Amino acid sequence: MKIKVLTFAQTRTQLGFGEKDFECDASETPRQIFHRIAPQFDPGKTIRVAVDQEYADWDKPIGNATELALIPPVSGG
Amino acid sequence: MKTEIQFTNSAIAVPPPKFSSKEIGAVVEFSGLVRELENGQKILGLHYEAHAAMAKKELEKIFRELDVKHPCEEIYFSHRLGWVPVGEASLFICIAARHRQAALALMAELIDRLKTDVPVWKSSAASTSQ
Repeated sequence: MKIKVLTFAQTRTQLGFGEKDFECDASETPRQIFHRIAPQFDPGKTIRVAVDQEYADWDKPIGNATELALIPPVSGG
Repeated sequence: MKTEIQFTNSAIAVPPPKFSSKEIGAVVEFSGLVRELENGQKILGLHYEAHAAMAKKELEKIFRELDVKHPCEEIYFSHRLGWVPVGEASLFICIAARHRQAALALMAELIDRLKTDVPVWKSSAASTSQ
């Protein structure tokens, strides 16, 4: 299956793209997917992940999700 | 609670006050302006980006949570995206409630939650002046 990966702010610079489709498996977790597509990328404790536009667990399988987004610390307002 | 959420690339237009209930007794407005100094550096403005679809969902969730604690009648929320020059508004929120306590409390908590949970980012790197 394909999943759309979105990056924002500093994560876009770190990964080198803003939006890209990747092949993945429903049993994979966000952490495994990012480790595969960007081995050097380390989310640390501050970067959150969103699955289908909801904050999600880095280590929970994505299931039938269609979108993954990296959410660095926000700074709106 | 009636809510409206907007993300716009244009200057924020403050809507004229028009409320659906004659029981509204308090209207609290907040404008967030871009300041001239960012981390001690003089800037010309800020650039805002968002995951707008997720931000809308997250705001709706926050509105529902806060409405339980501080019942209000209406929320209008507008956040500007793209380039916002110093002195212009990046954010405008209007909350209408029966009583001032709920409107003031919801406003304070909403802005706190915006700054921790809503996927909007600002950047001044490209606009730093001497």
